Amino acid sequence: MSSDNTAHVNRRAFLTIAGGSGIAGLSGCVGFGGEGDGNGGSGGSGGSSGPETITLGQPGALSGQWDFLQPGISQGTDAAVSQINEAGGPLGAELEVVRRDTAVDPQEARTVATQLVENDDVVALIGLFSSEINPLWDFLQDLSTPVVTPWPGSTFLDTRGGDKRTPTDISDDEWVWRTVVGDTVHTSGSAAFAMEEGHETLGVINGNTEGERSYVEGFLSAYEANGGTVAERVEVELGASSYQSALSRLFEADFDAFLVSLPQESAITALSDWSDGDYGRQPILSDTLTSQAVIDQVGSDLEGAWGATPGQSGPNYDTFEAAYSEAGDADMNAWTPPAWDAVQVTALAIERAGEATPEAVQRNIGPVSRSGGTKVSTFAEGKEALANGEEINYEGAATPVNFTQHGNVFGSVSINTAQNGEFTQTGEVSAADVREFVEEGEY
Amino acid sequence: MSALDRIPSGNGDLALLAGVFCFLIGGLFVLTPLQVQLPNMFYVFVEVGILFVIYGLLVLGLDLQYGHTGLVNFGHVAFFAVGAYGTAMLSAQDTFVGIGLGYPWPLALGVGVVAAAVVGLGVSATSIRLRGDFLAIVTLATAEILHSIFVNFEGVFGGNVGILGVPRPIAALVSQADTRLIATLLVLGGITLVGLAGVTRLTSAPYGRVLRAIRADELVTRSVGKSTVTYKTQAFVYGAALAGLAGGLFALYNGAVAPGFFTIQVTVTVWIGMLLGGAANHRAVLAGLSIIMGIRLVSRFALTVTPVPSDVFASIRLVVVGLILVAVIRYRPAGIWGDAQELGVDR
Amino acid sequence: MGLLQNIIFGVITGSYIAIAAIGFTLIYGIVNMINFAYGEYLTLGAFIGLFAATALPIPLPVAVLVAMAGGGLVSIVLARAFFTPINQTGPVPLLLTSIGLGIALRNAIRLVAGRQARYYDTEATTFRFDAIPDLSVGSVDLLGGFFVTSEQLIVVGSAVVVFIAIHGLLTRTDVGIAMRAMGDNESLARVRGVDTQLIRDSVWILAGVLAGLSGVLLAIQTNVNATTGFSEILQILSAAILGGAGSPYGAILGAYLIGIILALSTAFLPSGMGGLSSAIAFAILILVLLVKPSGITGTEVREA
Repeated sequence: MSSDNTAHVNRRAFLTIAGGSGIAGLSGCVGFGGEGDGNGGSGGSGGSSGPETITLGQPGALSGQWDFLQPGISQGTDAAVSQINEAGGPLGAELEVVRRDTAVDPQEARTVATQLVENDDVVALIGLFSSEINPLWDFLQDLSTPVVTPWPGSTFLDTRGGDKRTPTDISDDEWVWRTVVGDTVHTSGSAAFAMEEGHETLGVINGNTEGERSYVEGFLSAYEANGGTVAERVEVELGASSYQSALSRLFEADFDAFLVSLPQESAITALSDWSDGDYGRQPILSDTLTSQAVIDQVGSDLEGAWGATPGQSGPNYDTFEAAYSEAGDADMNAWTPPAWDAVQVTALAIERAGEATPEAVQRNIGPVSRSGGTKVSTFAEGKEALANGEEINYEGAATPVNFTQHGNVFGSVSINTAQNGEFTQTGEVSAADVREFVEEGEY
Repeated sequence: MSALDRIPSGNGDLALLAGVFCFLIGGLFVLTPLQVQLPNMFYVFVEVGILFVIYGLLVLGLDLQYGHTGLVNFGHVAFFAVGAYGTAMLSAQDTFVGIGLGYPWPLALGVGVVAAAVVGLGVSATSIRLRGDFLAIVTLATAEILHSIFVNFEGVFGGNVGILGVPRPIAALVSQADTRLIATLLVLGGITLVGLAGVTRLTSAPYGRVLRAIRADELVTRSVGKSTVTYKTQAFVYGAALAGLAGGLFALYNGAVAPGFFTIQVTVTVWIGMLLGGAANHRAVLAGLSIIMGIRLVSRFALTVTPVPSDVFASIRLVVVGLILVAVIRYRPAGIWGDAQELGVDR
Repeated sequence: MGLLQNIIFGVITGSYIAIAAIGFTLIYGIVNMINFAYGEYLTLGAFIGLFAATALPIPLPVAVLVAMAGGGLVSIVLARAFFTPINQTGPVPLLLTSIGLGIALRNAIRLVAGRQARYYDTEATTFRFDAIPDLSVGSVDLLGGFFVTSEQLIVVGSAVVVFIAIHGLLTRTDVGIAMRAMGDNESLARVRGVDTQLIRDSVWILAGVLAGLSGVLLAIQTNVNATTGFSEILQILSAAILGGAGSPYGAILGAYLIGIILALSTAFLPSGMGGLSSAIAFAILILVLLVKPSGITGTEVREA
């Protein structure tokens, strides 16, 4: 071993200090439990008159794969929060949101969720992606904090989450609620429309990431159940410099229409290559691709391409849109209305509960959103109705927000077609039709 | 003689003692109704601490490969992943996609470690003869290939969703949240300390001298009759096995594995920790790892006091991490506690 | 579409990998380091070109030249700041420094440029050649009709121009000959009076210029964002090492090989494995390194 040179940082001192402080910190905490513990795990409750601020946590995609979508979500969330505060706030307190970056990485998400719940004392988490929820499922159950998220479409969550229609009984709850329509449902809408349009054979090109695959799986199961046939399916990597080889292979097969399920940048590369190659045929776009950027970059060859998007046709979309456009100019995307809904329904749950704790929120999300009460479109209306002793049914911007037993929502699906250089809504598959594709109890 | 004099020191015995002690205390919490109270604000620190001791096994393995033998392994996360996936696939019950065989977890853990060692053997058999930076490229490419395989063969490995439903032994026995966290930290920390003891013992023996001789000048070592290939292979495989153990423990702690947990970020973090602390000094590399993970943890709290928006903050943190690596190599290549002369980087 | 079409696709991909790979391999041969931040040089070139094309009233070809000049400038500044001072420490510290620099640069670019991808404004015309006979062998069409776009032709054309220019540089100019001498045996070159630091600087500038050009060409095909170049670094690296690290001619060969392998594997692999095409390129790299560590054209044996 080298000699203890005084110029070196004294290793022994470092270890002693680190170890000693750790032990000192923990020494006061060992025992057999049972007495009143020193934990202050509830959400910011202060004196007997109620809390002054109530905090929600937002694990966000501030960096990483989906970071270009976050500004819309942040703006939607903030718009909802300011509207709620203008109406007096839940329980008269000021609502605020702490936003922390997870980089869409499950390890980071775990640390962020812990920090939000234990250090920032949030009563609910508004956010988290499929790629974060799925591997952290057990952890989230242990965390016992409601996760009301506008992001995940994954079929994994179809039968997981929610309160199992027993709001007062928390022991069977699974804590995760989705305000966005699941992939299973809106891809069924898209597939149904494809069959209506007479596209009986299909080609598919999709990326090898979870969201893209999940979209295709959902689409194909409804499509094939309806009698359609898949002629060829090609899976590709994301971010490639050219998709010509994949397209060349795909278009050797014979089909009427082809489904494109790729993240936006790769999709633009692929569709530009498709346009250059003059392959033709009817493009069907996944929901993330019905954006202006795609038309701008791919050009006129995309005329007539359509995609099915959920979440723009809730009963109170206009209320949301008015508030959103005043709050800034971030691009709206398909997850922005569900983010608004998530905040609204959580705030209403707090209001109905009369207290701001995670368990109370969990017990009240179902009752404020399911049918059978006065329909309300904003927090202000809900607060008033609750003060009158009525039950409420929040109807949202993306969907009517009637949570199923597994914490999922149904909504209608709008068909957007590229016409004259922009996407316009040309059709709709109603929620009732969409519901037919999903088995009872499986969603 | 007083009791203190009788405590063996050096050769990793202190670490062994501390490791067994932690393991036993942790076991006490797991198996008895003894409980701990932990103020909620410390939860995140303990969780990062658990991740630290798991990554600690990774950095010890890497130190054995690079610090002592001079093998530049830039695909270390691959062995971590193999150990984790191996353990997960063998023990998972009711996974959503992919294979889950439901065998008992000790068996699965053993298989995970062996699998990682076998992959390490394969990689070393093919590449051990390559020059330093070439070995880095090959190991990096191997990690990328494995990542690709895990993502693409959905039916086997679960694709992006990963393998879920892996049993969590400690969580199953302890239901109180505070105690569970502390017990996990103590048990895993104990294992890491025992690992530290093992590695220290290995490298302070004449075995370690040969490894360091290979790092300093392989030609000379070969000329005195040592089969350098054998030594290098062994060091590489031991390092891979340690990483596999870390992976298996991670799977059993988290209850699930997914490709998102095994990115190049892990390799970069472990490398920076090793270089920052001082390669070839086992305790130093653990300290260096604690510094880099500590910086990341503390900087999360800094978010509330800095005037920049959080997305800017996230990018700034990564810029700082990159610059730390550059600065360490330029100004303190032996790391904070390393011995410049021994590492051959004194100028 | 036949084999011919896929080979054409491979040639196009290979072309801009080749341009970048030449710069990368020159750095490897003469400065003796693997520069993992090279992808960021491409990204910066793409951004400079985009900025020049949109902010200034100049036509696209001039913007490309601006990007190339910018790339060279960025390269020499970064080299002087980060790599030259530690030149004597050996290949591993240099590699690690380039990794750290790459992380810092990628995130700094994201900070400044934001998250939205930006696009070059270009028009492309497609040329179709459908009259060619199919020439089937079993289920594979050897020839068959094919098409190329004007953008693709420009990429290949630029690559050819670059190859000729590099060849001329290396064989007919003093600087080029000195580069080859240094790449071969540095001490001997210094003994012969070659100013090694000046040649190293020249290599950095040249590599930066090539990276700038490759970055712009790549961005025209895809888009400009903080990871435009980073997504190609492993392929550039594979191409350079496959062809024999240090040899520009080898880099060209390696790049086209990688491009064609990528195209053919997408075309002929079972459809569920399409996402594995870059993994296959790496596997081939590893295979070549094991069989012939000096690469396809290299004469120097890179053993420990």
